[in-house]
Amino acid sequence: MFFLYDSYISWHQRVESLGTKVPRLTTRIPTMPRIPFSVIIKAQRENHLLPILLKECRTVDSARNELRWLRERAVRDSRSLSSKAGWRSRLRSMCQMRSRGYPLQYILGDQPFGDLEILCRRGVLIPRSVYQIFFKKRYILLISLHRPETESYTYQAARLVRQIALDRNDQSKSPNQARPLRIIDLCTGTGCISLLLHALLAPHFQQLEIAGVDISSTALGLAQENLQHNLQLGQLACSAGTDIRFHRADVLGHGSDSSVSSIESILQTQLPNFGAFDTSPPYQESGCDLLISNPPYISQTEFRNGTTARSVRRFEPKLALVPPHSDPGVEDCVPEDIFYHHILTLALKLKAKLTVLECGDFHQANRVVALHKRLASTESGQFSAEVWPSREQDLADNGFHATDGSRGVIIRTLQ
Amino acid sequence: MLSRLHSWTSSRTLAIPARLFSQTPIVPAKPLPPRLKINDSDISISYLKGTGPGGQKINKTNSAVQIIHKPSGVVVKCQATRSQSQNAKIARSLLADRVEAQEKGDKSRVAIKAAAAKKKKASKMKKTRRKYRELGEGAKEGEIEEEEDEIEIIWDDDVKEGENEETESETRGEAKSSEGSGKGV
Repeated sequence: MFFLYDSYISWHQRVESLGTKVPRLTTRIPTMPRIPFSVIIKAQRENHLLPILLKECRTVDSARNELRWLRERAVRDSRSLSSKAGWRSRLRSMCQMRSRGYPLQYILGDQPFGDLEILCRRGVLIPRSVYQIFFKKRYILLISLHRPETESYTYQAARLVRQIALDRNDQSKSPNQARPLRIIDLCTGTGCISLLLHALLAPHFQQLEIAGVDISSTALGLAQENLQHNLQLGQLACSAGTDIRFHRADVLGHGSDSSVSSIESILQTQLPNFGAFDTSPPYQESGCDLLISNPPYISQTEFRNGTTARSVRRFEPKLALVPPHSDPGVEDCVPEDIFYHHILTLALKLKAKLTVLECGDFHQANRVVALHKRLASTESGQFSAEVWPSREQDLADNGFHATDGSRGVIIRTLQ
Repeated sequence: MLSRLHSWTSSRTLAIPARLFSQTPIVPAKPLPPRLKINDSDISISYLKGTGPGGQKINKTNSAVQIIHKPSGVVVKCQATRSQSQNAKIARSLLADRVEAQEKGDKSRVAIKAAAAKKKKASKMKKTRRKYRELGEGAKEGEIEEEEDEIEIIWDDDVKEGENEETESETRGEAKSSEGSGKGV
């Protein structure tokens, strides 16, 4: 049990033992409360692997759960692969990997996202997900869940798209749309948002056209795999195979020198229907209905000062978390917001009816709303930009903390 | 030639019916009463509030779901799977069982199920005990006769079904008798 003790020495003790004096509470210090020794001994009695997992999980309850999931996978693997090594040794090595902070989703290879099963692999960001059910107001049963993340933005976006479509149909009095619903998902990663949107919207729209864009070829390969995987599982309608397309492009548009082409050129050559430059044939109405993105948004300081979890920092791709250092073309925003600058400019160019963006916290979301106001001031047309969830009711209903945690920005184009 | 051979083998495999492992017909158990339905309109969802950074900065694996039934005050928590939607489904059926058990008592689905399982277990235990008793007697007196076995069956209603199966299978070749003995233990 000695190995566990090493991590208990607090950051301060370690620094002070080196001989340097640091002022307290001036910088944000990683807070990792020490696990009581009695808890470790109790865990050890229950299962000898629990204390190893406790190093990363921090509570016995979650360690117990993770051990169960790992054991299930180890037993299943040893049966299917019929390898010489038994499941016990496999489980042990899995637990040791996890204790070093290796994400559970990379060890197990997948993560549930809505009703989908998203494959995860080193080099691609793991989707942050929590389930959400639509509910009505009659307080008889109360279901408590943990905080929703990317998934809840996806659900909210799907809800809004349906609402907008219904409103438009009411106005025009024509139940059938002539053109497909077009969605563009920037920085798609595993492709989870694109796939979940298809699963949610396919029953309500006859035609869908979803484009997932990412800069990483690893991510695009995995996204394509996820599409096939969920088609096989039967979670996606058969049309998903043709409706969803993944493209490689750089959202920041450094196109000229690197091998990756910029988003503008991709839109022009491969996605003319999204109406970037009005090059589409006139008989087919062009336009983008939803632009959704979960871009990298962590600042360099927040990545290092302990706000970002160790496991995320060490094992998930920095490319998907922190925007690149400097961008000479953009001066009016802080470095971590460059992606929003480019995406909002693109949204204005595409005349996207709805734009949904995930942000790190409340302040960043407010900055993005302000940025949108500045960019849209030169454009004609009216927009409504809001931080979601911001009202008390929405916060409570969706489990967001009043001050902390991620936020979404929802921008609607008003006719 | 090859195709003909292939057709021959396929027709042969089709002609032979699947071999049944048990000679006695499978009697379906008495159907259980349907599970209590809890209306979707009676459900509301609250989220457990988290603090600190979220989104890309952390990667949680907690997927627990907790349901509270307000009128009865029953609380069910489920964290069986990594998917919250699955957990919610499981928790809901668990809750339905609990609420029903509270309302109906002995007549609820769970109670009926438990009673059936209890009866089955008791009968199995009885059978095992009898077998070992016989084995013990057999060691003392030497071999016991087949007829004696059958006489015993008549007075015990509970064990009759299983015992019949065993004796029948013993009469039919080696392959089956090994299976029958496996069942007896």
